Amino acid sequence: MSLLRVQGLFKAFAAIRAVDSVSFEVRPGEIYGLLGPNGAGKTTTISMISGLLKPDAGEVIVASTPFWSDPQKAKRIMGVVPQELAIYEELTGRENLEFWGAMAGLSSGEARSRTTELLEALTLTDRAKDAVKTYSGGMKRRINLGCALLHRPKLLLLDEPTVGIDPQARLNILEFIRNLRASGTAILYTTHYLEEAELLCQRIGIIDHGRLLAEGSLKELQDRLGGDRLFVLEAELKETSPDSWDGFRQRFRVIQKTERQLVVSAIGPRDPSECLKDLLGLPVRVENVMLKRPSLNDVFLQLTGRELRE
Amino acid sequence: MPTAGTPRSPSDGARRWCHQLRVLLAKDLRRAWRNPLPLLINLLIPLCITGLVGLAFGGKSDSGALGRIRFALVDEDKTILSDFLRGSANQREGGKYLDPVILERDEALRQINDNRISAVLIIPTNFTRNYFGGREVVSLELIKNPAQSIHPAVMEELLGALVTALNAIARNLQSEFPDWQRVFDGEGGYKQVAGLIERAGDKLKAAQKFINPPLIVYEKDAPAASAADALKAGAGAKNNTKKNDPGAGVFGFLLTGMAGMFLLFLASNAMTDLQREIRQHTFARYHTLHHQLAPFVAGKIAFTVLVLVLSSSFLLAGGGLIFQVEWRHPVVLAALALSYAFFAAGLMAVLVALIPDERKASALNTVVGMGLGLAGGCMFPPESLPVFLREQVTPWLPTYWFVATTRNLQYSAGEVAWLPALVKLVLLSAGLLALAAVLLRRRFRMGGRP
Repeated sequence: MSLLRVQGLFKAFAAIRAVDSVSFEVRPGEIYGLLGPNGAGKTTTISMISGLLKPDAGEVIVASTPFWSDPQKAKRIMGVVPQELAIYEELTGRENLEFWGAMAGLSSGEARSRTTELLEALTLTDRAKDAVKTYSGGMKRRINLGCALLHRPKLLLLDEPTVGIDPQARLNILEFIRNLRASGTAILYTTHYLEEAELLCQRIGIIDHGRLLAEGSLKELQDRLGGDRLFVLEAELKETSPDSWDGFRQRFRVIQKTERQLVVSAIGPRDPSECLKDLLGLPVRVENVMLKRPSLNDVFLQLTGRELRE
Repeated sequence: MPTAGTPRSPSDGARRWCHQLRVLLAKDLRRAWRNPLPLLINLLIPLCITGLVGLAFGGKSDSGALGRIRFALVDEDKTILSDFLRGSANQREGGKYLDPVILERDEALRQINDNRISAVLIIPTNFTRNYFGGREVVSLELIKNPAQSIHPAVMEELLGALVTALNAIARNLQSEFPDWQRVFDGEGGYKQVAGLIERAGDKLKAAQKFINPPLIVYEKDAPAASAADALKAGAGAKNNTKKNDPGAGVFGFLLTGMAGMFLLFLASNAMTDLQREIRQHTFARYHTLHHQLAPFVAGKIAFTVLVLVLSSSFLLAGGGLIFQVEWRHPVVLAALALSYAFFAAGLMAVLVALIPDERKASALNTVVGMGLGLAGGCMFPPESLPVFLREQVTPWLPTYWFVATTRNLQYSAGEVAWLPALVKLVLLSAGLLALAAVLLRRRFRMGGRP
């Protein structure tokens, strides 16, 4: 049974459809990644799920209860980590955690002991008494994350929690999130980092221009490209088109074509060496042919016609 | 599993509300403590202005009076009469207030340029001859130091009094002047001088019934002096503060005005913290935990009121200690300050609710605070304001209700009707806070997302 179910979520700001009929669900002990470029609608989706915005249409169901039928009940189950640092820079790390614990309904004693636990888990105990403004970016991100965990939420909404921090700090946070998942927390994780989604998420939804274009496990998404291999052909392709090559469209699916590069996957079960021979025999001056495993970027490329990093 | 904000019973709900409010208040106070500069600036500036303006009106002497006026006396006439005028300038009572230095014109002008003296009084050549001759208008020349304001003005007034006295003598003893002129020229013998003195004595004796007792007298009733008089009285009144009238004194007058104005600025600073929290996304984070935003907003208003109560205590009690102002009605003053704190918090809450942009709200709040302060008589005595403002606008302003009432409490001798001002402030505060609640509710209807 899913802990969070989103059905046909829709939100428009004037003429712009920020979120357009988005549906997905997150199960306990699962990290569901919402992957998309900046402006794709990830934050608006999270804002609607957490009650910061009211959807124009659609429904958010938390633990089998529609969110808006009892918002406070839903909020008790959730923990939200906003993309921006939502902490008090003048206060110490401990004071921030204790304050948000009290706001989450913990008694002073509970908030104190839970804060100690979290500081330990986030490896911030030695800096607990320092003002947050003296922290590094990674430490601030960890406190930002910890502030949402005081009341042990069953459902955690993480909105790009690793933006703007160094790789080591990012790894620490990802490890922490993995541990949360292991404890049974359902996690909705938005990101525009492909690697994070690939490493962390059991299922991934790809979102662009407010629409959920595809979802599934990494394997399922890769399979959409026709297997576990992609061929990258580097050649002078300015004056030519795959449509003019005899039977090419029946043998290969074009993922991307630029003036210098053609990315394709084989249609049907074919031997890679046969495919390579086929590509080298094309009526263009081939400079290089490579074989690679398909990434989420390739999936995104196939779905949107552009790279996620653009 | 904790249950955030889910009251099981009304009393449980109230308890949770109070707990939340306490935690929110503690958080805001801690943040203010860690970043005290904005508060300190708004607390120290009014004290500095009070000190500076008070000293400007009060001078620096230990006696608390204006201080001795140092001026140059240039005697170009060099006669017995000019010697007499020169010598009398610093004798007896004059010596307490005047500090004349006898100089040549060039040196006197150099010293006034160097701002070492307040004025130059020149007795011109032939002053005595022309005065006793009575044939042409005689004049004394006064050059005032443009870099000073109070002392040169006092010198001008004193010179006016001297001229009046000389005119009075000229009108009454005109017939004796030729003889006096001869005596001053060294021509008369002692018998002639004795005769002149006797005749002058007879004339003064005849005039005594017109002079003493005087037909019009001036008596100063210190407690009944108006608030504005205190400002005019300068630190002379301050000196009396300890001995006669605890309310008198320019510092008390200024302190209440400064408090009236700067409490508005402090309210603006505290209330716009709500917008800072929106900008810093902590408000949104709170909203992810609680569907109802009222406790957070109420916490901010409570924080603003608390800051204002502490600030008014600092300004009025602390300032009173610094400037030795003994408040005559501390309890009523405290009640008025409390109601004014609620008014200021309510006003700024309305402005914050109306203007979502933090910077615009901050700028507008300052303008509104300054406007209300100036038009309400915080910076100047209301009597000095333009007629239209004074009669049509000022009486309607809460700043005026607070400032005028506290000043009247301090400076008026009789019963002061402070209750109407208190009631008006309380009612207005309640109205503003209710309006702010409605506006903020409407503003956050769609959530706390910035």
